[in-house]
Amino acid sequence: MSSPADPAPSQTFLQKNDFLIRRLHSLSGLIPVGAYMCVHLITNASLVGGVSVFQNNVFSIHSLPLLPVIEWSFIFLPLIFHAVAGIWIARSGKSNLQQYRWVGNRRYTWQRITGYIAFLFIFTHVFHLHGWFHNEWWLKTIAEPMGMAKFRPYNAVSSLASAMTGIAWPIFYAIGVLACTFHLANGIWTAGITWGVWLTPKSQRRASIACALFGLFIGSAGLSSLVAVKTTDAMEAAKIENAMYDARIHAHTITPDDHKRSDGHAVEKPKSELVK
Amino acid sequence: MIAPGNEASAKRRPTKVNVRILRQDGPGLPAYWERHQVDYEPDMNVISVLQKVAAQAKTSDGLKVAPVAWDCGCLEEVCGSCTMVINGRVRQSCSALVDRLLEDDANEIELRPMTKFPVIRDLCIDRSRLFRSLERVKAWVPVDGYYDMGPGPRISREEQEQNYPLSQCMSCGCCLDACPQFTKIEIQRQPAETEADYTTRKNASFDDGFIGAHAISQAMLFNAHPVGKIMARERLDALTSAGGVQDCGNAQNCVAVCPKEIPLTTSIARAGRAATVYAIKKIFDR
Repeated sequence: MSSPADPAPSQTFLQKNDFLIRRLHSLSGLIPVGAYMCVHLITNASLVGGVSVFQNNVFSIHSLPLLPVIEWSFIFLPLIFHAVAGIWIARSGKSNLQQYRWVGNRRYTWQRITGYIAFLFIFTHVFHLHGWFHNEWWLKTIAEPMGMAKFRPYNAVSSLASAMTGIAWPIFYAIGVLACTFHLANGIWTAGITWGVWLTPKSQRRASIACALFGLFIGSAGLSSLVAVKTTDAMEAAKIENAMYDARIHAHTITPDDHKRSDGHAVEKPKSELVK
Repeated sequence: MIAPGNEASAKRRPTKVNVRILRQDGPGLPAYWERHQVDYEPDMNVISVLQKVAAQAKTSDGLKVAPVAWDCGCLEEVCGSCTMVINGRVRQSCSALVDRLLEDDANEIELRPMTKFPVIRDLCIDRSRLFRSLERVKAWVPVDGYYDMGPGPRISREEQEQNYPLSQCMSCGCCLDACPQFTKIEIQRQPAETEADYTTRKNASFDDGFIGAHAISQAMLFNAHPVGKIMARERLDALTSAGGVQDCGNAQNCVAVCPKEIPLTTSIARAGRAATVYAIKKIFDR
């Protein structure tokens, strides 16, 4: 009998690296993608504490050096890998929920459904607020005319409030955040089995409860920030943001950057044409 | 295994039992439903229903048909050969009692062949992929010869209690049939192909597929065996190759349908842990 362990020469790249890809998919879902999602949703929820609290957090994030490099290497690229590998994994199975309606099987199916929702949501969300690429041509000819790339970090709350007007976008965000929350909470539970952290049904049940509590926490953080942005007065927020901007400029904790501000504010003398 | 008749249901005992069977005349041919009706007897199981169905060889419309084919062996739920999908759930037909099935649905019993294995005829399926998976993980103890090798090493009570449930696996394939990650692989033999060529081609495509809960559990059983663990690394190589333990999607249907109540998900998590350690070792022990 030939040894089944020897990889046959006819194996494709995906077959040869099946274990590596699936484990990297599991790992990338926890770190950095899942960890980033927690930081993101908790930062968002700080808007409940007031405009100045949230704006201050955004200033801190935007004072990080080489932010686009951090974004791409720790957020976007791992996210794209997780999404693409995830679709490949989801397509390798076939749900039989109609036949076996058990909790574990429901969770299996919902992990895949929420994965697809999260995929559409996150790609749209990043386009809607961030714009994907901070290239002048892209922003001016593609993203902004489409009503995308709405977020202005130095006018964080007022630009967010104008992006969230109406009812369609808030509902879209609520569904997206809840799908991502389920996907992460259930994903932590399955990752615990995948990596061999919780072994027995008893410990898996305990882990399941812990993951559900975690999901409730993160999910409420996400939804509370949505409620907060809908109940904030954008005009008042803009006044606070602009005052904080001026104070930061005065204190030399940020450099003037019109690309991070909403249009129509009192224009500072721009020292450079730095794009973010 | 056959329990005495349920007294509570005795009052509403029917005189006839309707059976709907998904038939197929041969490999690769279209499947079709057929209705049969047999006389009710107390304490029937699905095997005794199928015996009557085959003896009659007549549908409930009175049409003469070829007898329905099915497999069975031990009749006491230890061989696994009579496994089929009964009222939508994969299980052994020998331990599927008609009185209980009629409690779920008094009108009809629905019988289908297992869904993840190629159908040979009617309710008979080809389970060779299941056994190929056991070969992939070398699910045996490497002891050959008849000479006396002296007493074996002592196994602690704790280890015995962990391993004994795993040794009860009868290779019935319920865990695979209920698994959403285990998808059907059906290879047809070509007219000019020799048996050996066909087997090689079939095994090659089986080896690309998910190995399944039963083989993962057996790998853990033999890796815990004092002699079997000699091949622990080879088993972990198989478990981390294409279609290995990483393909598990944690739906946990396997453990829910296992007639032997084998802690399959614990075996999968153990295999996941062993694979984690093994992969890290492979990176840093070089």
